[in-house]
Amino acid sequence: MKNSLVLLCLLCTFHLHAQQQINAGMLGTLEARQLGPGTMSGRISAIVGVPTDSKILYVGTAGGGVWKSTNAGASYKSMFDKYCQSIGAIAVNPKNPNIVFVGTGESNMRNSVSIGNGLYKSTDAGDNWKMIGLDSTEHISKIIIHPTNPDIIYVAVPGPLWSDSKHRGLYKSSDGGNSWEKILYKDEKTGCADILIDPNNPNILFASMWQFRRLPFSFNSGGEGSGFFKSIDGGATWKEISNGLPAKPFGRIAMALAPSDPKKMLAIVESKNTGLYISEDGGDTWKNQSATMNVCARPFYFSTIVFDPKDAKRVYRPAFEFSYSSDGGYSFSGASGDGGWVHSDMHALWINPNNTDIMYVGTDGGIYTSLDKGATWIFNHGLPVGQFYHVSFDNHDPYNVYGGLQDNGSWRAPSAAPGGVNNGSWNRLYGGDGFWTQPDEDGKTAYAEYQGGNMGRIDMTTMKAEDIQPKQTKTEEKLRWNWNTPIVLGSKNPKNMYVGAQYLYKSTNQGRTWKRISNDLTTDNKEKQKQEDSGGLSADNTSAENHCTIFTVAESPLDENLIWVGTDDGNVQYSNNGGTSWNNVTANIAKSGIAAGAWVSSIEPSHFDKNTVYATFENHMYGDHATYLGKSTDLGKTWTRIQSKEFTGFSHKICEDVVNKKLLFLGTEMGLFATLDGGDNWFRMKNNIPDYALVRDIKINPKTNDLIIATHGRGIMILDDIRAMRNLTSEIWDKDVYVFPMPDMVLNNGRFGWGGTEISGGWGTGNPSSIPTIDYYLKERLSTGKVEIEILDAAGKLLQTIPGTKRKGINKVFWNMRGTPPKVAAGSTKMDGAGFTAPMVLPGKYTIRIKVKDQVFNNTVNCVHDTKNADLSEANRKLVYDKSMELQQLYTKLSNSVDTISKYQARTKKDTTDITNKAFNADLEKIRAELMATKQTSIFADEERIREKLSQLYSNFCGMETTPNDTQLKAIEAITEEYNAQAEKLKKVMEKYKSKLDPSL
Amino acid sequence: MKKIILTLVVACSMLSAFAQTAEEIVAKHITAIGGAENWKKVKSVVMEANIKAQGAEIKVTRTMVDKKAMRMDISVMGMDGYSIITNKEGWNFMPFAGQTKPEPMTADELKTSQDQLLVADEFLSYQDKGKKLEYIGKDDLEGTDCFKMKLTDKDGQETTFWLDATNYYILKSSAKIKADGKEVENSSTFSNYKKLDEGIVYPMSMGGDNGEIEITKVTINSTIDESIFVPKMK
Repeated sequence: MKNSLVLLCLLCTFHLHAQQQINAGMLGTLEARQLGPGTMSGRISAIVGVPTDSKILYVGTAGGGVWKSTNAGASYKSMFDKYCQSIGAIAVNPKNPNIVFVGTGESNMRNSVSIGNGLYKSTDAGDNWKMIGLDSTEHISKIIIHPTNPDIIYVAVPGPLWSDSKHRGLYKSSDGGNSWEKILYKDEKTGCADILIDPNNPNILFASMWQFRRLPFSFNSGGEGSGFFKSIDGGATWKEISNGLPAKPFGRIAMALAPSDPKKMLAIVESKNTGLYISEDGGDTWKNQSATMNVCARPFYFSTIVFDPKDAKRVYRPAFEFSYSSDGGYSFSGASGDGGWVHSDMHALWINPNNTDIMYVGTDGGIYTSLDKGATWIFNHGLPVGQFYHVSFDNHDPYNVYGGLQDNGSWRAPSAAPGGVNNGSWNRLYGGDGFWTQPDEDGKTAYAEYQGGNMGRIDMTTMKAEDIQPKQTKTEEKLRWNWNTPIVLGSKNPKNMYVGAQYLYKSTNQGRTWKRISNDLTTDNKEKQKQEDSGGLSADNTSAENHCTIFTVAESPLDENLIWVGTDDGNVQYSNNGGTSWNNVTANIAKSGIAAGAWVSSIEPSHFDKNTVYATFENHMYGDHATYLGKSTDLGKTWTRIQSKEFTGFSHKICEDVVNKKLLFLGTEMGLFATLDGGDNWFRMKNNIPDYALVRDIKINPKTNDLIIATHGRGIMILDDIRAMRNLTSEIWDKDVYVFPMPDMVLNNGRFGWGGTEISGGWGTGNPSSIPTIDYYLKERLSTGKVEIEILDAAGKLLQTIPGTKRKGINKVFWNMRGTPPKVAAGSTKMDGAGFTAPMVLPGKYTIRIKVKDQVFNNTVNCVHDTKNADLSEANRKLVYDKSMELQQLYTKLSNSVDTISKYQARTKKDTTDITNKAFNADLEKIRAELMATKQTSIFADEERIREKLSQLYSNFCGMETTPNDTQLKAIEAITEEYNAQAEKLKKVMEKYKSKLDPSL
Repeated sequence: MKKIILTLVVACSMLSAFAQTAEEIVAKHITAIGGAENWKKVKSVVMEANIKAQGAEIKVTRTMVDKKAMRMDISVMGMDGYSIITNKEGWNFMPFAGQTKPEPMTADELKTSQDQLLVADEFLSYQDKGKKLEYIGKDDLEGTDCFKMKLTDKDGQETTFWLDATNYYILKSSAKIKADGKEVENSSTFSNYKKLDEGIVYPMSMGGDNGEIEITKVTINSTIDESIFVPKMK
């Protein structure tokens, strides 16, 4: 029996092998560009430096994984691209800093916080990771390693935010993380928020227990489960601390002890009277101390307070803003803004123990460094972990992307720019928490919002904004605006703008007037509308808990009167008469197995059939992490749930391709997935996209065929030109080699010039190729044999040979539409650029011969004149080409002359005692020194002879995209004469020394 | 029946692949590249190569005397430059970058360059050098199934290798070089493996950050004039 089971497994494996499935590897070099920005980063949840080499930093982010700097923050590298991107805590082994632990699942428990999937360990300083357990904890807030016995590890687990769980509490491992024991546990509602260890006596531990819960419409911090505990036996037994603390119930407790004097402690205790408490006796008794708003504000969100490692009087409170105390916490001062604005909302602080003047703070907008004990801060520009909610694009060429970020406003950046898209390419549009940002087709207006539906029409020239939010009328209920209120422009008619509260509004004049086109489309459940009571012990309702609201709106790309609406409380309704009447299809969806009441995260009406619609649903706010994706082909009457074993994470966005109706993309909290067969088979997209990226929004630009991805933690990504993916069928991927047809190549130097040196620094990415690439598919990576691409003109003359890449999947090789550069003569003291330059080919058909091992594939490309360039007619293109070739021939003649001279000089130099020899050599050298630079070797000395001038002129002509001017044309005559004069001299010298000439040379 | 047998064969090979130790993978790799015996006979290598860039060619010659010295000559647009590494010193003369005379490497640079003196790949000598070998696990290198291996020397310098899980060739290596207070990662890809007359298998194409190098000729055990490992000071 057992054997047959094994056999069955084997057969399944075999089956999978026999039928090749599409996967990300097949896409090969089709890789995303990560646009950032680094100029506006994202929420940082953990910063840990390495005490023995304090320029090494590990950074945990809310949705962008783990990053490492080996240069004190000058640059960062992503270390966690294959794993869960939400990070709660990091710890480095004090004895062996190559051992690093990462707890996934951030514990700043705001509405939009993501979810983790366990604890990871690296033994090689972050290069490789293994999941080592605690996989059901969802959120990890702190990891502490015993200072002298690093096999002992404590992990504070608040546990799930949206459901009960037995997996909460304080965990301990005594074997370096191989096995875990829960050493402090209260109940399924109460987790462990924080843990402290006394460095002098590591048996002394402090733990704060926290009862907390979110519902989609409210938050509760605090309860009978919360408490403050001390252990003096390494966590075997615990005693509750209460002496001097306020009356229970407690909420979240932030706490610290002074490493230099561990009896001194501080705690911010959330209670009905949240306050700062000081202990001088190791936590046995506490005294309340009056404190500033910043010290005590939002205890559920700001849970960090830190003592200086060496000075028990110096205390830091990174919170809403940055405060510090020089008297042990009795009074606090605030950081200065000199050196630039510092982002508010701080969650992590690392102080360099070797030089406590130096510290790093993690905010909702990235990392800052201080060199003066927190008084002023310098931003780190290289951490692209922005948390976008949505992305959109405009009609410019190149198009711009627009999007709103968690706590970081709304931004715009070009999809391509001279020198690439860099920090300096990004422009601010609007403030607050950003969500939907939509460009109007007029090219100068955008619509953006901040939390709670506060929306404006922005003049992008002046950045002036007019409020356009629809207001409540006398007869209406209070308007309920989602945290992330939809502002949507029509897919069929982009003049239609829709925004949704509980009602749907439409404007056709840029938000100047609104028409309400629906009644309340939500369930209007009053039990879910008590936001003013939200927060628990501390009021906290920043519109993040607004509920029973419209969350998604979609106009059919085929019919502007067909409008779909999805709500955060599970309703899907459509109107096929522009909003006059509405049909509620909610009940039909649950029949497909999709959870009733789940948040409708996106709706995608098909581009091909009015009756077809896709929708994503997510129910994580009720503790259900299933990936819900539904499809209806009968206008919502019946639904099919689309499932795949590949899926991970709850769903945010379904996107249908605009050309191939079987190509779909699904974005979830843990990955981007694609199907090429309408949803039967899915694969995880990798392709320079983190495996578990938090994908919130996906768009396809129909003009450029680009896939534009908004991630909640890794900024905007663009997968340029997905046509090859669109056309990938089993007829192609079953072949060993397939050569894709070439589109016409327009003859120009590409889209951009240089534009000067890019100086904004930090994060940057290149541009998409603005010249079509030569694309071919290889079934397997080639480890034996060559790939070579030969370009031939119509006469069969070989213009260039290009080595081809050999990756599995789609390979893209670049041909610069030029021939072979001229030969450069040796012996100059200067490097000559002409050796890399050749004229651009003329319009016509060219053969692309792709040789893969011993197979040959011939393809043809049509190179065409650039009719968009008004500065260059086709006739003048020919002129530029002819002149370039004339200069190339002259250059070759010059190289030959130099080579001739060099050959004779090689002989004349051998015997300098011979007087004729010496004179011959000197005469040759005179000419050589006129032909090219021979004396100055420094790059800071511009010795210019005929070759240098010729080379520059030749390069000018080769790069010319305009009609040459008269001085340029005359310069050709001049340089030709100059060369001819020297050639004539050379001829004479040769004649003079005829006797010395060797016929063999 | 045929199918079942085939299945078993496939399954067994998969199981054995799974159970392989680091040493077994290295042993198969060494067999794949021609065997230790053949490699032991290699005392010097002269490699002539081309880098093709937009129709232009850069000529590169790399001369290696095993465990002793390495010289790389580069010829770009009529200018020549070189770098030299020996057991004792290292020099760079790159006039393309504005150098007007050979410039010495820092002690750290030299120390971290010593692996470049090996004519064979590091898996043939890692034990002699006291390097730690680790099998990290299976890894997907751009869609190709690989064994991910790591070698760490006594100073903590690490190089990661991706070995093709079907033919055991090195497809990629990535060295983390910690020198002069900086940490730099240098990655190379290897392909076009070819068996030479000497019985060894050599990657005739190497890729790096600056494009792909195509090796046009490899000469094994020719006599090397060792004066080329001394820079010419003007």
